[in-house]
Amino acid sequence: MDVALDTLKFIDLSTSSIIFLFIVGFIGGLVSGFIGSGGAFVLTPGMMSLGVPGTVAVASNMCHKFPKALVGAIKRFRYGQVDIKLGLVMAVSAGVGVQVGIKLQRMILEKWGQSGSNLYVSLSFVAVLVLVGGYVFYDAMTADKGGKPKAGATLAQRLQKLEIWPMMTFKTAGVRISMWFTIPVGFATGMLAATIAVGGFVGVPGMIYVIGASGLVASATELVIAFVMGLGGTINWAMHGMVDIRLTVIILAGSLLGVQLGAIGTTLVKESMIKFVMGSIMLIVAISRGLAVPKYLAELGVMDVAPETVAIMDKASFLIMCAALTFGAVIILGSMYKARKANAKQDREAFGQA
Amino acid sequence: MAHEMTKKQAVVRMIGFGAASAAVYGAIFYFSNPITEMFSRGGVYAAMPIATVFLVSYVHGGFASNLWTALGINARQPAKTLQPAATKRPEVRATLNA
Repeated sequence: MDVALDTLKFIDLSTSSIIFLFIVGFIGGLVSGFIGSGGAFVLTPGMMSLGVPGTVAVASNMCHKFPKALVGAIKRFRYGQVDIKLGLVMAVSAGVGVQVGIKLQRMILEKWGQSGSNLYVSLSFVAVLVLVGGYVFYDAMTADKGGKPKAGATLAQRLQKLEIWPMMTFKTAGVRISMWFTIPVGFATGMLAATIAVGGFVGVPGMIYVIGASGLVASATELVIAFVMGLGGTINWAMHGMVDIRLTVIILAGSLLGVQLGAIGTTLVKESMIKFVMGSIMLIVAISRGLAVPKYLAELGVMDVAPETVAIMDKASFLIMCAALTFGAVIILGSMYKARKANAKQDREAFGQA
Repeated sequence: MAHEMTKKQAVVRMIGFGAASAAVYGAIFYFSNPITEMFSRGGVYAAMPIATVFLVSYVHGGFASNLWTALGINARQPAKTLQPAATKRPEVRATLNA
């Protein structure tokens, strides 16, 4: 009962490509379980480098993303970190953001062509990641010894004081804020998800700095948003027959192991570590996307760049992206190991005293 | 609050979920070509890859969770506080207040 596959759509799987997808899935899952998002930005270009067509890579990636987010969300819900209500409110407004983002992309594509669209995507990547990632990184570095952010009236605290109907209470996050401040955060998350496929890079910082949730709750709640949006996106892609189930389940094999380990990690380390990992990954990815900008400027005829230079920059861009993810994974595993050792020592001392 | 699983329980569950996960993966890759072709027909066939990933996330997710527990990698409960050492309560004596 052998059936020949459409070779234009489905690649032949080799052992090395299976191992590559499993490892990237594991690392991506680990980072997602810890900071709420990540991994997707390496998986899509990673699959394309194996010869998978762009649409199949995006669809197969999305089809692995929502079950991974579901498993991570359930795990972190058990640790009391997920605010389901906040996640659903954000997911609804993010859904609208995605639609607007797609429309905007189409408009740019029609007006400036594929290179213009690619340039817009890369510039959005660089601008958002440098600004937001830089701030997240700064906040993590200025946190106190216990990993808590420094004291002082934050933007979120000021917004929470404004009583604009309808007010919403998010119990797990411990926040009461007007719905009119949650909608723009969700909307921006959706817009970014439609543009650069990683909405969490705006969603998590937005929930922390605009809504006022802790880093722990924000990163856990992002998994609910990723699940809802991923499921919606997958239904759309699967109805067009773009999911390669073999790629999806291989990535899932690694990412389900990683996402649970990342979720366990959040209970062991200081809260500022989540921000540190997120900020660092965002800044490294910004460098990677920045390297792609000259290529699109050259294609639009704005800049002269030799094709060899473009090829080198393309490779460097992908390698730096992989490095961002690996760096995040190493920091997470390293800090988990350190925290486990410190906790074990603390428990031994407490046991000795008791 | 859910009781904490022992390592032995986790190993048993890991083997169970692991066998189920291996069976699901074995079936997908043994029939990989017809499955991939059928799952990419679009329309109502979209339900198939979605149902499959839910199944995989249950069996393989269960395996992964128990694997980490079996390896002794557990979450630290935030509300963990040490119970004060139990002191012997004075014995209650029956008294007659007549």
